[in-house]
Amino acid sequence: MKTFDIFTTDALSALVPEFLLLCGILVLILIPNLGKGTFRIPLTQIRIPWLLGGQRFALTSHPRIPGILATLILGVAFVFSLLSQAGDADVVALKSKGGLNLLLVDGFSRLFEILFFGAILAASIASLDRLPVGKGSDSETLYNNRRQVDFYILLLTTALGMSLVALAQDLFILFIGLELASLSIYVLVAFHKETKAGTEAGVKYFIVGSVCSGVGLYGLSLVYLWAGSLQFDVLTVAWDNGASTLAILGMGMILVGFGFKVSAVPFHFAAPDAYAGASSPVSAILATASKAMGMLGLIRLLVVIAIPDNTDGSALWLVTLGVLSAITMTWGNLAALGTDNPKRMLAYSSVAHAGYMLAALTAIGAWKWGHVNAPSDLAGAILGAVLFHLVVLVAFKMGAFFVLAVLEMEGGASHLSNLAGLGKREPLLAAAMFIFMLSLAGVPPLAGFLSKFLVVAGIVKMAIGDLSVTVAQGEIIGLMDLHWIWWFALLIFINSAISLFYYLRIGVVMFFEIPEKERQKPLPRAPFLRLVIWSCLVGTILFGIGGDALIRLCFNAVENLSL
Amino acid sequence: MSDTAAVRINEKEFILVGVFLIFTAILAAYFPNIATTNESGEIDYISIPLVGFPIMASIILLAFASQEKASRMHKLNASVRLATLAFSFIPFAVATALFFDWLVVIDWNNIGYNSYAIRQQYTWINSIGVSWHVGLDGLSFPMVWLTTFLIPVTILMTWDEKSGATYHPLLLLMGGALIGVFVALDLFMFYVFWELTLIPMFFLILNWGGKERRYAAQKFFIYTFTASVIMLLGLITLYFLQPAGSGEGYGDLTGRTFDLTLMLESARSANARGEEWMGMDMQKALFLMLMLGFLVKLPAVPFHTWLPDAHVQAPTGGSMLLAGVMLKMGAYGMMRLPVAMFPDALLFYQDLVMFIGLVSLVWGAVVCLGQTNLKRMVAYSSVSHMGVILLGIASMQPIGYAAALFMMFAHGLISPMLFAVCGAFKHHYHSMEIGSMRGMAKWSPFLAVYMMFSWMASLGLPLLAGFVAEIMVLIAYWPTYGWWILLPAFVLAITAAYYLWSMQRTIFEGGDEGQPPASLNGEKPPDISLHENIGMFILAILIVLFGVMPFIALDMMNAWSVNIFEMVISRNGGGV
Repeated sequence: MKTFDIFTTDALSALVPEFLLLCGILVLILIPNLGKGTFRIPLTQIRIPWLLGGQRFALTSHPRIPGILATLILGVAFVFSLLSQAGDADVVALKSKGGLNLLLVDGFSRLFEILFFGAILAASIASLDRLPVGKGSDSETLYNNRRQVDFYILLLTTALGMSLVALAQDLFILFIGLELASLSIYVLVAFHKETKAGTEAGVKYFIVGSVCSGVGLYGLSLVYLWAGSLQFDVLTVAWDNGASTLAILGMGMILVGFGFKVSAVPFHFAAPDAYAGASSPVSAILATASKAMGMLGLIRLLVVIAIPDNTDGSALWLVTLGVLSAITMTWGNLAALGTDNPKRMLAYSSVAHAGYMLAALTAIGAWKWGHVNAPSDLAGAILGAVLFHLVVLVAFKMGAFFVLAVLEMEGGASHLSNLAGLGKREPLLAAAMFIFMLSLAGVPPLAGFLSKFLVVAGIVKMAIGDLSVTVAQGEIIGLMDLHWIWWFALLIFINSAISLFYYLRIGVVMFFEIPEKERQKPLPRAPFLRLVIWSCLVGTILFGIGGDALIRLCFNAVENLSL
Repeated sequence: MSDTAAVRINEKEFILVGVFLIFTAILAAYFPNIATTNESGEIDYISIPLVGFPIMASIILLAFASQEKASRMHKLNASVRLATLAFSFIPFAVATALFFDWLVVIDWNNIGYNSYAIRQQYTWINSIGVSWHVGLDGLSFPMVWLTTFLIPVTILMTWDEKSGATYHPLLLLMGGALIGVFVALDLFMFYVFWELTLIPMFFLILNWGGKERRYAAQKFFIYTFTASVIMLLGLITLYFLQPAGSGEGYGDLTGRTFDLTLMLESARSANARGEEWMGMDMQKALFLMLMLGFLVKLPAVPFHTWLPDAHVQAPTGGSMLLAGVMLKMGAYGMMRLPVAMFPDALLFYQDLVMFIGLVSLVWGAVVCLGQTNLKRMVAYSSVSHMGVILLGIASMQPIGYAAALFMMFAHGLISPMLFAVCGAFKHHYHSMEIGSMRGMAKWSPFLAVYMMFSWMASLGLPLLAGFVAEIMVLIAYWPTYGWWILLPAFVLAITAAYYLWSMQRTIFEGGDEGQPPASLNGEKPPDISLHENIGMFILAILIVLFGVMPFIALDMMNAWSVNIFEMVISRNGGGV
């Protein structure tokens, strides 16, 4: 492992994707403002070009430019983080002058960066079509064209904030990254001005989100009060020595902040409105990248810091998280049954998926210290599965939202009937949507099946622990001898059976019902949107059939984590 | 218009690129393995010809169909169904050649316990111990051959189905997935194909079904999926309960394996040592979890309610494959996993299995008596016959097992014919009501003959295939349950009653002119078409063939049954 000071060129070389994003934001601010304006140096006749004024150049101020630039920048950042993961890149720790750990670049954080950049890149490509550039000179079109640059800058700040969360080694930096990403997302949710629901969703999401962040921040201050530091390693040691009530209270409050991000019940109430109100690419970010950010926070907080202590054999937060997870997955699935809005349905399905992942974290909390050989192997298996799930979720969850985005461009996708007859209008698009739905439900051989399978396998592995050795020695055990966490595996499977009802309904509506009267014409062309849909489809099938390499990548990434 | 044309071309290109990428990725990933791991030097006659080819061919045909313009669809329908028929002969030819030893010499009657003909293993998801592992034995080969045989027959029988360009490839896809279930020797692969069969069937019911098809398709999917995820949880628990190992087949991240042959081997060696593998309590729990998945698929009462709905709503071809092969997946799974792995638990639950079988048998038959819908009646008769399979398993006699296997095979020939008759009836008379007409024999002599023949075959007329299985089950039943035998014997009489009664009301009576159904609006009822005639004739020939000479298939089934008793079951006092 290499250690660099944060303000050196070495640090710069380790943080290429982040600096790219930062430069990208500046470029996006600057380029559309380039113009023919000149600036006369006072008292002289010398005129120098003044970049930010006068009449703008037609080429650089074209409304398409921000989208293309942002996509390129995100693409390069994505490729860089991908490359750094592919080779045997060094683990780089960045410290402040005072010796505090600030950022850590390792396989784990890079994998999350790949996820974040990939998801936002896909959303950015999709937005090239979803936020069309208008022609004409009426004020509304001009206004919409001007807004383009705002949208893409916000996408870049979201990516930057998320990557900070991935790299952070200090709760405070993590919080800054979280807030940067959150604030950008609040605005992005409200960006959808075609319906009133967009603004309403933005405000609702902002209010609930900021309350949760506030609670989290207060928890942060309590933790600081207790430990005197927000460094991960300091907190880990402190937690090992015994957590006081203050610390537990603080951690619980921080949990609220992350619980909102992963949309766990009972912090999920704003999520369905936000998903339904935002434009589909933004909803797709909410459902994948933003949720992965929340899960990342939970992993750092619960698994790295608040790990089980040796005395009672399981983590303090075990019961809380277990109850939360059981309620979350069941509530999410039941609520999804009752909605006719496909985007709300996907939001509730996202709540249910959060429940599955929380169940996996609960299983880590339940590992039996001192009773099981190599408990960190068990935890690694579960965390690897969660990572795999988060990564492949990008493929099929985003794909589903992008199909809805095509329909949105045609005039809305807020009711199931808008999907009616898609099977006849565009068989391929409908087939893709159906495959995404099956993948969400966990039907083999798609990626969603493999990820759910791995999560459940991790939980079962935890529940069985060392019992396989006992069995091999000829001792007799029953189902009741397994750790009770095994029943969570059953609950997950029962829940995925429930979820089939609403996933299949989408398929039935697409292939069975007649399209609405105003929706007989061909769908919009949207080549970029289709490009990402097909990439998502290929990813969904490919990671399902041959997910071996990605499984390895995820499990290796977890090994870097100091469990 | 030019705009839309551009869209179509775009999509076509995208999809072609996607398919191409998937193909290349798979080839690139697996080609080295294909080239190197054939340790026995045998050529793999299973993976590509029996499983890969039908699935890939049907996907490509479906991709073509989705791109065709509606105005040219009828041309495509004609060419695609011809292509599908031609493609479906390839697996059939390979399977037949394997039986007759034309490709490799296989002694089908001497395949030992847990050894397989043409066994091939390739690495797949190495990290968690999943491999592509295929092989054939006396249990799976009859089912594989049956599937390969039924696909062309089904295609032939439903030659004129509307939008055939998607319908016929779906049948082929269905066949490929079904064969995948039967040849899989890896539990992960088994589960993948197990669920894959749901997707084409879901679409077959949804797009070509009757009035209530929407409800039926969803019910079918959700019922079987729910049961099989619980089965999957059982498989995962089993996976982690095995002691960790290393070497080929074991996952390098988990240290466990999904390889069925390794699991069966450790089950066998535990048996040889006189132990209960995994311990009795765990065996019971796992046995119940696995059995739940298979009982719903079979289906046994009380999990059978999806079947009548699915059958009544499904198109003829869907029904034929559903009844012919898909139900047998349940019986096959039972034989392959819980019976072979957990003989002690089976002995413990013997009476429960017998009871479920008996209830299915009685319930199915009694409900049949009250049916007015022809297809519903046949569907319930399937439930009844599947109960016979459970009785065979519960008897814990080698002959009972062989009977159950032969019942799977015989019912796999008879039930497609039953549904073909129902389909032809619906097709030509536009009605399914048994009492809606009288005197079919006068206008449709062929259909009447086939109906009579298949009804007789199903009720167990001697010299037809069904009789052999039923009499063997009764023989096996006697040493285990004694005079309880009166109950199944009595139910077989009910079976005769409902079949004869329904026959009497449709084929005969009605005076000299007959009474055509009201749904024909006074038109003259037609007889069946040439395609239907050929298909039913082939099925009838085979039913007679296996009724007169059952040993063609029965020998290998018998060998398998005796073998499994010698190796794992006899220790527990089962068997003779």
